[in-house]
Amino acid sequence: MTRLRRDSLHLLGTVAPGALCILVFLVAPSIYLMGMAFLSTDATGLPALPLSVQAFRELAGFGFLGWSPGNLYTLLRSLWQTLLATVLVILIAYPAAYYISIRPARWRPVLLLAVVVPSWTNQVIRSVGWMNLFAPGTPISDLAVLLGITEPRMGLFPSQFAVIVGLVYNFLPFMVLPLYAAFERLDHAQVEAARDLFASPLAVFRHAVLPQTLPGLMAGTVLVAIPAFGMYVVTELLGGGKATMIGNLVAQQFAAASNWPLGAAGALIMILATLLGLWVLRRLGRRLGGDREVVI
Amino acid sequence: MKSPLERALRVFWLLLMVFLYAPLVVVVLFSFNSINSSARFAGFSLEWYQRLFSNDVILSALANTALLAVMSTLIAVVIGALLGYGLYRYRARRMAWLIWLIYLPVIMPDIVFGISEMTFFITLERLFGVLSPGLGTMVIAHVTFQVPFVALLIHARLLALDPQLFEAAQDLYARPWQRLRFFLVPVLWPAIMASVLLALTLSIDDFVISFFTAGPDSTTLPIYVWSAIKKGITPEVNAIATLMIGSVFVVALISLLLRRRSLTGRHLQ
Repeated sequence: MTRLRRDSLHLLGTVAPGALCILVFLVAPSIYLMGMAFLSTDATGLPALPLSVQAFRELAGFGFLGWSPGNLYTLLRSLWQTLLATVLVILIAYPAAYYISIRPARWRPVLLLAVVVPSWTNQVIRSVGWMNLFAPGTPISDLAVLLGITEPRMGLFPSQFAVIVGLVYNFLPFMVLPLYAAFERLDHAQVEAARDLFASPLAVFRHAVLPQTLPGLMAGTVLVAIPAFGMYVVTELLGGGKATMIGNLVAQQFAAASNWPLGAAGALIMILATLLGLWVLRRLGRRLGGDREVVI
Repeated sequence: MKSPLERALRVFWLLLMVFLYAPLVVVVLFSFNSINSSARFAGFSLEWYQRLFSNDVILSALANTALLAVMSTLIAVVIGALLGYGLYRYRARRMAWLIWLIYLPVIMPDIVFGISEMTFFITLERLFGVLSPGLGTMVIAHVTFQVPFVALLIHARLLALDPQLFEAAQDLYARPWQRLRFFLVPVLWPAIMASVLLALTLSIDDFVISFFTAGPDSTTLPIYVWSAIKKGITPEVNAIATLMIGSVFVVALISLLLRRRSLTGRHLQ
């Protein structure tokens, strides 16, 4: 056997099982789902020939009763809630990551673990925690009633507020970890130099800290915003009907409402939006980071 | 003397810890509540745990969760490690498509992933009568999203190694299996253990993909909790959640100890 041939067999032996697994059980099913978006529905809501763009028309809001903006609102709400949660996560993660990076070296792994451990519990369990805290009659809900935020005898969930809290809680570690990695490599001399030149704290951050931690920030933004946009569990459990996102809209079409092509069209939009988001964030990272390679 | 900034950060950190742990503490606390309420703690009781362990549905859900996590992890670590190694060994061949393929499950939204698999499995069953939804399809789905993470971990570890080590192994006429037994496996052992832990937590943490690929007889704990809380939060739900939170803390402790040991080990060398 020639060396090249043996090499190829070896390559096949190592790479093929994993590649096949992803091709057969992820790529093929998603292509199948994408294709379904271009079919019409039969009487039971399952996909059927002929090909049509009916699903996309329905997704855009055209139904039996004319046009309704419901689905469009859901899409906009998904984008808005993702943006809000990501900004809040950034605001919390920056000081947290900085604090960990200035602690003694032997404590840092423990502090990092303290941030990460809650995210190892199941998504559903984390939401159960907030449902407990936000239930009617708990101290937090009573406080909210006193402040006039909620009606008497009501809890803080289901609400958009609870969804945002849930999103921040879920994805905070994904921002802290890459930011911490960036802070660990921070060149403190630059920060000192800026301080010596009497730069205001904001200017120090803007010109000395931000450029150096930008790769971590961009990586964290991808890790937070992409899954937050596709969130299903938190919105379903903490949001009720008032904060549904596109993931819930898609899921409904495969359960109660049963309209597979409509759900598939929604899933296609989700994938396109995700890829577009990734592309924009990469471009943004390159532009802001100058010629520095921004790793995502 | 601490700077004001540092003192402010310390307060911030304490508040952050309250935010991160309050939901978990409340769940654990109210699982021991003697009355069915998540607003008022009336007294300590183990009643809900007793109910839990006499409920056959919950016990089988517990067994399913464990079985799913262990089976998918074992398969995914083997397939993923091979993939990571192949990716490293043949890095000169510029397999960009392969990198894309590996990142695909990572960036795909859970819900789209789960629904794709669900429609795929349902259609396969209808057309060919194979892969009916159940524990088997759940294992397949879990392996598919675990493999990329394992492959990336192993690949990263191999990239961090000195390439000359591979040449040395070859120069000493190590046979392929000897290279595997005496060089690759020992050198990769920490990365393999890390992969096992990561794959286990990924599997236990997942709800969405399990939910959409499960069959009627393959309910796992998260799926059970999901359907239970649709009827309202009860101390029984909190008791199940407490068991799951407890297991996560055990894993966290193990990973901390492993890390400590590998650090001191390196120190001794």
